[in-house]
Amino acid sequence: MLPGGNMQSNTNIKLPLAFILYALAALVISQFVLFANNDVLAMGQFRIPDIWMGAHFLLLGYAIMIAMGAMYQLVPVALLAPIWNQTFGFIQYIITAIGVTAFSIMLGVAPDKALYGGIIAIIGIIMFIVQMIITISRQEKKNMMTGFVLGAISCFFLTIAAGFMLAWNLSNGGISSHGTILSTHITLGVAGWFTLLIFGFSYKLVPMFSLSHGYSMKWAKPAFMTYIVGLAILISSFWLDAALIATIGWFVLMTGFFFFVLDIREILNKRIKKKLDKPFSFSLIAIFNGLGVHILAFIFSISGIQTTSVWGWLIFLYVMAWIIFSILGYLYKIVPFLWWTHKYSNKIGNEKVPTLKEMIDEKNSVILFTLFIISTAGLTVSGLLYINILVFIFQGLLAVTSLLYALSIIRVLTK
Amino acid sequence: MSLEKKVGAALFEVIDPELGINIMDLGLVYGIGVDTEDNVKIVMTLTTPGCPMHDSIKIGVKRRISQIEGVGDIDIDLVWEPAWSPAKMSDRAKERLGFA
Repeated sequence: MLPGGNMQSNTNIKLPLAFILYALAALVISQFVLFANNDVLAMGQFRIPDIWMGAHFLLLGYAIMIAMGAMYQLVPVALLAPIWNQTFGFIQYIITAIGVTAFSIMLGVAPDKALYGGIIAIIGIIMFIVQMIITISRQEKKNMMTGFVLGAISCFFLTIAAGFMLAWNLSNGGISSHGTILSTHITLGVAGWFTLLIFGFSYKLVPMFSLSHGYSMKWAKPAFMTYIVGLAILISSFWLDAALIATIGWFVLMTGFFFFVLDIREILNKRIKKKLDKPFSFSLIAIFNGLGVHILAFIFSISGIQTTSVWGWLIFLYVMAWIIFSILGYLYKIVPFLWWTHKYSNKIGNEKVPTLKEMIDEKNSVILFTLFIISTAGLTVSGLLYINILVFIFQGLLAVTSLLYALSIIRVLTK
Repeated sequence: MSLEKKVGAALFEVIDPELGINIMDLGLVYGIGVDTEDNVKIVMTLTTPGCPMHDSIKIGVKRRISQIEGVGDIDIDLVWEPAWSPAKMSDRAKERLGFA
């Protein structure tokens, strides 16, 4: 028999939880900032300070902080490598939280000074990258998930390098290719970092939550390689200013995403748990949203559509319907697990303890997820059609839903 | 009732918190051994290597067995070979998961 060995994670739950709580606050703030600026959203104007503030609270404050917190929790259990230094992790949390908050606010109120907040955020992010690289380097047996996580971290590093150049340019000027760097920054951050990370963790989480066995993961490597090549082609198209190359890039990215979907489909087909938990199903819906957005991007690209607002709303859909929806669903599994481990893991075997499912209100989650879908879809359509009143209503709905969602997660901590 | 049977019965009360099903019905327990000094050895697995519930379930098993009167030392041997498969589940567990 093969011994199990020591696979305990030993992560202090305060560390991932601190990131997650900050992120929930940032999600709510971002949505209310965007709601306060619904008039400019309705005009399809995304490159103004207040929208930068809302977008960075959403992407840096919410999505990245959640990703960091989730990685502190998931890397030890998924890659079987303990976190290198948890004290360093807490320091990294404080620096990143201060940096992200300062950077996002300054982007809105004093963009020329955003660089200073950006520098603090970058220090925090680099500390995180160092933490993860050392942690992953201790993994005994590298696998495809290691590749996805390292690929994601590499894109993350390049994203912040590009972001720093943008912030520098806002403060000091002198860089003429601001727009090209911005496109590179968005692609590396949104498609590179988040997508590769979600791909990687999905290979662990989807089989675990669906109790799937006997699947092959045969498309994992092609998905990884293809997506990386697609990113390189798309980014090169920005610098070469070549529409044809951009179309090829979108095609290759779509193909990479499709390979990933093939694997997920096989995992789900071979699942034992036939009735899936609702929040997890929401994360699965996000995967198909992601494929849909990639298909749309390819169609728009090959059709020669260059309207800024169309691409702006497509990026919005990419962020919300794929990345944010994935995270919203998984969080309903991750937070109950963290809290259960903290409160009940020492009681199992001694007394009756709740199951993870009993720690969440699944019925309410369905309502919240439905509201997220309605508000995101409604916002996109009304934004594309420039219908101010509907943008106001759907962004308002999204802000209120985000608040209720954050409260529902915090409620788990009272169970 | 022999100590071995008492241990087996007690393990029906250790629930996998993710699935809400006890570890015996899930087929996670491969063997229960009791020596002449009433020391207990459990050979068991989990549904997947790197299961986040790794520590909790292992501790839960140990704690539940320790509540049985007369038990000596308890040794939990967590193994990954043979790997767990759905075939190891009881009909009751399969039914709960909609797999039957």
